[in-house]
Amino acid sequence: MSALDPRAQDAAQPDTKPGKKKILVPRVENGHETMVEIEVDDAEGSGRPQWGPRDALRLVNHELVRVDAVDKVTGCARYTHDVRLPGMLYARFLGCPIAHAEVTVDVAAAKKVPGVVEARVVRDGEVKFLGQPVAVVAAKTREALEDGLRAIVLGIKPLPFAVTREQSLAANAPEVNRRGNASKPNEEGDPAAVAKAFEGCAAVIEATYEVPIQHHACLETHGAVVDVPTNDSATVYHSTQATYASANEFKGPLKVKEVEVVNEHMGGGFGSKFEAGVEGRVASELARDLKAPIHLMLSRRDEFLCAGNRSGCVQTVKLGGDVQGKLVAMQSSIDRLGGLGGGSHAGLPYIYEVATSVRTMRSVYTHLDANRAMRAPGHPQASFGMESALDELAYALGVDLVEIRKRNVGDVHRRQLDRVAREIGWNEHPHKSKPDLSDATTKVGIGFGLSVWGGGGHPECRVTVEISPDGGVRASVGSQDLGTGVRTYVTAIVAEELGLSMSGVTARIGRTSYGPANASGGSMTSASLAPAVKHAAFNARKAFAESLAKTLKSDASEIVFDVQGVYDARSKRRLAWKDACATLGPAGISATGEWQAHLASNGIHGVQSAKVRVDTRTGKLEVLKMVCMQDCGLVLNRTGARSQIFGGMVQALSYALFEQRVVEPDLGIAMNANFEDYKLAASLEIPEMVAILDDEDTRGVIGVAEATVVPGHSAIANAVHNACGVRLRSLPLNPDKLLLGLAGLKKG
Amino acid sequence: MKAFELARPVTLDQALQELEKDSAKRDRTKLFAGGQDLVTELKEHLVEPDKLVDLKRIPGLDRIEVQPDGSLVIGCLVTLATLAEHAETKNFFTALAEAARSVGSAQIRSQGTVGGNLNQRPRCWYYRHELAPCLKKGGSECYAYAGLNKYNAILGGGPSYIVHPSDLAPALVAFDAEVTLRGAKGERKLALEEFYTLPAEADVTRETVLAPDEILTHVRVPAKPGWSSTYVKFKERGSYDFALASVAVAVRAAGSPRTIQDARLVLGGVAPKPWNVPKAAEALLGIDGVKTWTAAGNRAVAGAEPLAHNAYKVPLVKGLILQAMEALAKR
Ligand SMILES: Cc1cc2nc3c(=O)[nH]c(=O)nc-3n(C[C@H](O)[C@H](O)[C@H](O)COP(=O)(O)OP(=O)(O)OC[C@H]3O[C@@H](n4cnc5c(N)ncnc54)[C@H](O)[C@@H]3O)c2cc1C
Ligand code: SF4
Repeated sequence: MSALDPRAQDAAQPDTKPGKKKILVPRVENGHETMVEIEVDDAEGSGRPQWGPRDALRLVNHELVRVDAVDKVTGCARYTHDVRLPGMLYARFLGCPIAHAEVTVDVAAAKKVPGVVEARVVRDGEVKFLGQPVAVVAAKTREALEDGLRAIVLGIKPLPFAVTREQSLAANAPEVNRRGNASKPNEEGDPAAVAKAFEGCAAVIEATYEVPIQHHACLETHGAVVDVPTNDSATVYHSTQATYASANEFKGPLKVKEVEVVNEHMGGGFGSKFEAGVEGRVASELARDLKAPIHLMLSRRDEFLCAGNRSGCVQTVKLGGDVQGKLVAMQSSIDRLGGLGGGSHAGLPYIYEVATSVRTMRSVYTHLDANRAMRAPGHPQASFGMESALDELAYALGVDLVEIRKRNVGDVHRRQLDRVAREIGWNEHPHKSKPDLSDATTKVGIGFGLSVWGGGGHPECRVTVEISPDGGVRASVGSQDLGTGVRTYVTAIVAEELGLSMSGVTARIGRTSYGPANASGGSMTSASLAPAVKHAAFNARKAFAESLAKTLKSDASEIVFDVQGVYDARSKRRLAWKDACATLGPAGISATGEWQAHLASNGIHGVQSAKVRVDTRTGKLEVLKMVCMQDCGLVLNRTGARSQIFGGMVQALSYALFEQRVVEPDLGIAMNANFEDYKLAASLEIPEMVAILDDEDTRGVIGVAEATVVPGHSAIANAVHNACGVRLRSLPLNPDKLLLGLAGLKKG
Repeated sequence: MKAFELARPVTLDQALQELEKDSAKRDRTKLFAGGQDLVTELKEHLVEPDKLVDLKRIPGLDRIEVQPDGSLVIGCLVTLATLAEHAETKNFFTALAEAARSVGSAQIRSQGTVGGNLNQRPRCWYYRHELAPCLKKGGSECYAYAGLNKYNAILGGGPSYIVHPSDLAPALVAFDAEVTLRGAKGERKLALEEFYTLPAEADVTRETVLAPDEILTHVRVPAKPGWSSTYVKFKERGSYDFALASVAVAVRAAGSPRTIQDARLVLGGVAPKPWNVPKAAEALLGIDGVKTWTAAGNRAVAGAEPLAHNAYKVPLVKGLILQAMEALAKR
């Protein structure tokens, strides 16, 4: 059972003090999620904020338009890339163009280029990965910057490199990692028991499944704009998933005590933007030394090569089941491919219950940048191995593809499978346990995949809600918005509590000084932040009621806030919101809130399905429709949650069809470090998409982002086989593979 | 990109004055039309000219003229968007309009021109990588031959295995189009098919016979009364992509059962130049149906010599021919 498996959270929690309970919460450290145990108040009394019955909610759990939608579509929203400060210099790296080399860097000529202010060596000597930054230039214009970078003279002595798994594991491979090019395999399970279990199976399949290294492909590249430090403080505009925590990373290189990080809008992180990185450090050093604001954002090429990747894997799976399709035995060996990093893989078996299993897992290192966390780290890889193998077994046994899944999962997934099957048209589909092997030239197939995620929140956020005498309400949170719509639900929660409309509340986000906030990882932002916002709004309302009770000579418990304003049940007096606020002193009300365990929950489930069409003459693969059903506790914004689901499905579709880092194995150079050759799905690839929110889930806020990206590509690959009988065991599902597969079928 | 002088002539003669005469120095001066290919080459330092000669101020080159006999004369500055939407082109030279429509994205079509499209450089990703000094760039080795050659040629390759990237070219060759090349010494006209060269037959660093001091000013497409045509392009990514393979087919058919009396079949995306296969076209003659289509498919790829990663193009071409013929039969 993986640490993030929702079933983990149901485990009993002994040794708890009275009035307290222990819960498991996910936490991201260095981009890796782990589960930690924390103690929280167990009280659920009426003196605490409650979400209340769902049908009584007025804004939360409704269809809300993003409050910053107009800013975003009109270009008014200011991203880090857009920041321009007086006297600012543009800076950028020069990366090593090959995978492994001894490099000398001569910046003298670059310094002489008109407009160039500084050129520096970032690294010389041994360069260990393709694209590693070796020099930086700062210049007055971007044109001068280009010329400056071009003028740097690199002395490159190529060293033997390994950029593929095969090269790394070859007998005379160059050393990538001092402790060996492959880590010591870690084995779980009892091989003898598994071998015995296979003997009793009605069918056993064995195959190898591969996922290439892919990219986060954030539209906004990594980087920061660092203002000149003054005395003891500095302001840094940073495209980061950790606005609050990243301030600490800048203090050292800037040599200041206080740093204000500003991150009003960001263009994607997906797990790759937890740290300030070499770009943050170098930008800080330049700003400090040159006494000029520095704009250092990675070029698209650098972004592809030195800002992390989603690790690939090669997984060999043997899976056996009984006649009904109950999973009996599984054996797997997994190589994670994360460049210089360890890679990530959620482990096998994944999600499905298998009676007996054994697996070995190791990392194989190459001269590529280290992988970073990426939206559900390790899960899409595990999903591809598990769902593909399960499908192959179902066909071998002749069991319905939905039935076999239902037989090996819990209640929630079973219920969701039925609903998704209905929506995708499974009941009418003629090929439920055999692929379509007819002579038709275009064929339609359906495939499925499941997801799980931990989500949930933890205590880190401090939120402030202020009510001013002029009626204005402001909520301030130090958290960032990775694109999920944080401003919108912060606004909605506060407005809901105070009886206001969305326009009555202003949400401010993305500044260190707005208060401590969690890093956005592990799908934990909503479940960490929303309870604290609720608490702050609740405290503000209580303080306001107490103040009004004094003015109106009533009791705080008699004061009601609703859409018509403020009502005192004792005097039966009604005040308009503005008039009520006018009774406040000049300081108004300022209340803070912290995380409330009872308003959050964790552990989510999803089911996705894809319907595809294959043209057997040309190998054209079209995804026609995708369906997702997802639980995620209390939905804060239904439009926003569905949009997250769509985003996850599109990202998985893009992995399924196109995405793959290509490094030339003989030259050690990057072949597709740009958006022309690293193909992402675009508008014509997007199918009809249906996102069903699982309203039978009555828990608190959990968060949804990562689960939605886990199974889409698996469902698509399974649908391809269902359509035409070709099993594609390596991503992406390119037409060349499909055509060769179809030709193979014809030959028999 | 390297700094350059930008010349902005307002007549063809002025433009010709600006051009380099010496073949050895041809890359010092480059013609500049929509810039959709050239600017990427400049940014990647694949060419570093001292001078760009902008053609866009020369009047009259951005028109499509329909001659009394129904033939088209297309100026080199006509944009792909204009061509794709041009009524006569859509009606009588359908494959050409479809080919124009299939190029890149809407932005590229509204900026890119016919002259630029026909003269664009290869997309082979070794050619496009500054650090791969391959044959095409004057080096001594074709890296694609034994390297990552999924997108390279299965026909007509060697010593370079590029595929010609233009979508217009196969469609125009199928219509027996002719190009006008204007040089300081005068004008020459030649079949578009003759405009393109194979790497083994000519200078491997180039794809056409265009001299450094020449401009492709017009494309003439002779009228083909009674013909119907289609361009079927297979893209890995439907939203915008170059062809993995494409087929331009034009046929003159009549009668019932429908009988094909004359045909042209040209492949794109599979060879260093538009791959005209008259033998395959011949196989289409006679009573129209899957049998002749399949025969044409087999002949179209006759002699194909796939590299390690592009054998899929063989069945792909055959499939595209079936698709194209099926579409024509329905018209
Ligand atoms: C993302 C992307 C996708 C693309 N997709 C496709 C595609 O699917 N299909 C396709 O066919 N093309 C594609 N292209 C290539 C190309 O941009 C377009 O085909 C376009 O038509 C080029 O025209 P242009 O006017 O912009 O050419 P320019 O970039 O101005 O010129 C291209 C070349 O032709 C030369 N040239 C220009 N005009 C003349 C002339 N009159 N006489 C002689 N030489 C001349 C220039 O010197 C230059 O070398 C794509 C390009 C990009 C960047
Ligand atoms: S095919 Fe041509 S462009 Fe590509 S590597 Fe070979 S010589 Fe260079």
